[in-house]
Amino acid sequence: MLNDLRFALRSLLKTPAFTAIAVITVALAIGANSAVFTLVNSLLIRPLPYRDASRLVLIWEQFATMGLERIPVSAPEFLDYEKAIRSCEQIAAFDYTAFNVGGEGNPERVSGAAVSPSLFPLLGVDPIAGRTFTLDEQGEGHDDRVVISARFWKRRFNSDPGLIGRTILLNGRAFTVIGVMPATFEFPIPLFGVQGNRFAERVDIWKPIAFTKPELEARGSRSYGMIGRLRDGVSRAEAQGEISTITAEFIRSHPGNYDGGGFGATVYPLRDQIVGGMRTGLGILLGAVAFVLLIACANLATMLLARATAREREVAIRVALGAHTWRLLRQMLCESVVLALTGGAFGVLLSIWALDLLKRVGAQTIPRLSQVTVDIPVLIFTAAVAITTGVFFGLIPALASRKPELTEALKEGGRGSTSGAASNRLRSSLVAAEIALALVLLVSAGLLMKSFARLQEVSPGFNPHGVLTAELSLPSLKYPDNKAIAPFFQEIIRRLAQLPGVQAVACADILPLSGTNSDSSFDIEGKVLVKGQPSPDEEVRSVTPDYFRVLQTPLLKGRLFSNSDTSDAPLVAIINEAFAHKYFPNGDALGKRITFDDPKKNPAWTTIVGIVGNIRHRALDLDPEPEYYLPHAQSAVSSGRSGRNMILVVRSAQDPRTLAAAIRREVQTFDPDLPIARVRTFDDLVSESVAPRKLSVVLLGVFAGIALLLAAVGIYGVISYLVVQRTHEIGVRMALGAQRRDVLTLVINHALKLVGIGTAAGLVLALFATRALGALLYQIGPFDLVTFAEVALALGLMALLASYIPALRATRSDPMIALAHQQ
Amino acid sequence: MNNGNTPLIQLQEVTKVFLTDEVETHALSGIYLDIRDGEYISIAGPSGCGKSTLLSILGLLDTPSGGSYSLKGTEVANLSFPERARIRNREIGFIFQSFNLIGDLTVYENVELPLTYRGMAANDRKQAVTEALERVGMGHRAKHLPSQLSGGQQQRVAVARALAGKPAILLADEPTGNLDSRNGEAVMDLLRELHAAGATICMVTHDARFAQHADRTVHLFDGRVVEDNLVAA
Repeated sequence: MLNDLRFALRSLLKTPAFTAIAVITVALAIGANSAVFTLVNSLLIRPLPYRDASRLVLIWEQFATMGLERIPVSAPEFLDYEKAIRSCEQIAAFDYTAFNVGGEGNPERVSGAAVSPSLFPLLGVDPIAGRTFTLDEQGEGHDDRVVISARFWKRRFNSDPGLIGRTILLNGRAFTVIGVMPATFEFPIPLFGVQGNRFAERVDIWKPIAFTKPELEARGSRSYGMIGRLRDGVSRAEAQGEISTITAEFIRSHPGNYDGGGFGATVYPLRDQIVGGMRTGLGILLGAVAFVLLIACANLATMLLARATAREREVAIRVALGAHTWRLLRQMLCESVVLALTGGAFGVLLSIWALDLLKRVGAQTIPRLSQVTVDIPVLIFTAAVAITTGVFFGLIPALASRKPELTEALKEGGRGSTSGAASNRLRSSLVAAEIALALVLLVSAGLLMKSFARLQEVSPGFNPHGVLTAELSLPSLKYPDNKAIAPFFQEIIRRLAQLPGVQAVACADILPLSGTNSDSSFDIEGKVLVKGQPSPDEEVRSVTPDYFRVLQTPLLKGRLFSNSDTSDAPLVAIINEAFAHKYFPNGDALGKRITFDDPKKNPAWTTIVGIVGNIRHRALDLDPEPEYYLPHAQSAVSSGRSGRNMILVVRSAQDPRTLAAAIRREVQTFDPDLPIARVRTFDDLVSESVAPRKLSVVLLGVFAGIALLLAAVGIYGVISYLVVQRTHEIGVRMALGAQRRDVLTLVINHALKLVGIGTAAGLVLALFATRALGALLYQIGPFDLVTFAEVALALGLMALLASYIPALRATRSDPMIALAHQQ
Repeated sequence: MNNGNTPLIQLQEVTKVFLTDEVETHALSGIYLDIRDGEYISIAGPSGCGKSTLLSILGLLDTPSGGSYSLKGTEVANLSFPERARIRNREIGFIFQSFNLIGDLTVYENVELPLTYRGMAANDRKQAVTEALERVGMGHRAKHLPSQLSGGQQQRVAVARALAGKPAILLADEPTGNLDSRNGEAVMDLLRELHAAGATICMVTHDARFAQHADRTVHLFDGRVVEDNLVAA
């Protein structure tokens, strides 16, 4: 065995060009497999970083008949669940929040969460310093404690151990730091597909939950996520049964809150909620890299077949000296496995580099990406794939050349038998298979690219170009109510509007495509609901007067908000076209009134004064939803919204990024303790909204590119070999009067024949494979004939290109030399 | 164009020099040779005397280093590659020692190949191929692959391929070299029959027995013509 290994190494070193190409081919294929398997392993297979994570569940409510799925719970509901639930050892509520960090150093805005004290023991993660909350550290007046992340501890406080027990200033209020969570701890983790996608930022500060009095009285105001740990031995179905009983009781005991709607709650495994949305995408990528690996194997097999032909004399000598078939096979396989393992080692390095790159570009799009690492299982997987690959691509040529025709092969200059028709057919079949597999990947990538391009062409209903956005959050101590909040924003807007280059400035509590939503129910004057029918519930936004001018969303009817729409003025609202169409199909929306109060109890009415164009809020690929807008100055009065967390939108005549420093300066001149956060262009925000799709397109595109490259190398190799093999024949043809173009045609026709067979097989295969892409496509079917035709054409051109160089070489052969070439 | 007085082939002071590693090898040194229409000429000489080089130049597979080569009255020594290919295809029929049939093509397709390069219409090709195969007695093997034929049969097919385009001259390079004596004799008989029917043949051989089949024998030595004899009938 050691001899075989030594011989394999010597033989590979003797042909450095062959070895380099083979190793690069293996490295590309195994690198791609290793990278995707690392993702699968880290995101789908490896347990979540919590104790006994399989027992963790999220409980979301739903109003099925209203199409509201997976919505959070309200404070009173959580307290009721907490009292009633028996199937869970513990449950905890959590809500995303943000803190303006003051005190020493620059003010900054940091993502945080308000959580039940039970959260940390429920997750089973201990702090690395200090402690977490006790049960009595919650509720208003008892919530001035925080636990911080190791990341924030290191960045802001240089990992100072003396920080525990000290106070820090958050939103203008002193909080005592009681503990530091490990660097790997992450909660809430961004969740796929939850309405609102609210938990998108990695959290650095946790504070105890403190339900306010209004919250405790508003059963319909739902903003808290709810996590539970199932008791040992309790199944999810049993928990679901209990939750259904509890929600049925809610409906019975609070009939006014759950009328109609199909209210209920569902228990979801935490893992499904975090990574469920990635399964299809990762499955497709796994399939893609498996194809790349198969293509690489076929490529290497053709290379080794050609090499085996060249070494047939050597094999014949070994057989003549008494070598057994198994001995020969072992030696040849040893060589291919050495190649595969060397390529595999480079592949692992390649995958580490690729994953680092992915972490940089995909941090906002893939949950838990920071935890993706190449670990022992990945290395075992890679080694197994490398060895299997080596055996697979080595076996075909080894079997083909294990029994040479001794008499022929041992003659000086004798004709090799493996260079015969069977070997050629095998080589050609392998290349045709490569083309078929590459075509499937190219069609898939092509469909995703077209889908993405069509998505990019979708008008979001506003013009994101030339707009800068920045988040502002006013602390409640300094800005306790609307009387302080509204003037602040009016003054900031006035100051920013005077900056050079600024065309318009506004604020909104939620921006389109930001992944955040807010809805509220209302009643329409004059529309009496049938008993049991729920009030309408639609998306609502709080905006300042110039919002639609900044976004350049057209006013279709009526008027926009103005500075005269103050809290003392008559309450007004603007609706979008979808809203008008849904509730006022006769076109008489203007002047109609809605209320957020009980319509039977002398409510405050809000008059619809304008209709604006639709904006695609949730995603570019989702149809616009009905929306209504309230003036920021009135939203506290009309709908009880605090309006303290707002996003500045500034339209500029110049590159909006150049305004960032001036905006920061203006805000801090006005309030030095107030940080601005997440300063980014609206274009970036739109781009982030399609980032997961873009990532799929890029990754599949890269894999398809590798496949195309490998297929091109395969065709080039086979055609080059064919030219060498047919040198004599080409000489004969030239002697008989063949022109150079005849030789060119002869060689290229052979390549095109291979491409034709491969393409036909690939098209059939693609018809099945692209079905899996259905869910990822937008405005293009999985069987788009144009894409299929374009890819087939592109492959044909690639084959032409790949075969042109050897074909050209063939035309330049001297008939004298060609005729002298051994047959 | 050729007429009764002009030789079909006329070589004047043809030289061929090969350069390898800065060493000059004079394969041919001042060859004068005329071949007339209908002649059957054999070129003989020991190994390395320049026989094959001369045949390659005659067949336009190679170009002379100096001198002039006229075929049917036209100077062809320095033609471009496509022109030489065109003339090879129309005026010269090759018969190789190792037959040089293409293994993937049938007997019929092998014979048809040079006609295809000429751009001949399919019907005309069919007629020409059938005639050529019948002429060498291989019509019944048209659909066979070369590997299914004996050496003698393969050489007959090669002769048919050379004949099919009705070339001005047949160039045969050791046509019996790969055959046993019985098949060798049969091929020589075939060449003689063709000559009798009017074909011009130039054959390279080192076998004195077969050289005698020709009307005229040119002896080469060290790249020069040392003897040019008419063979007694």
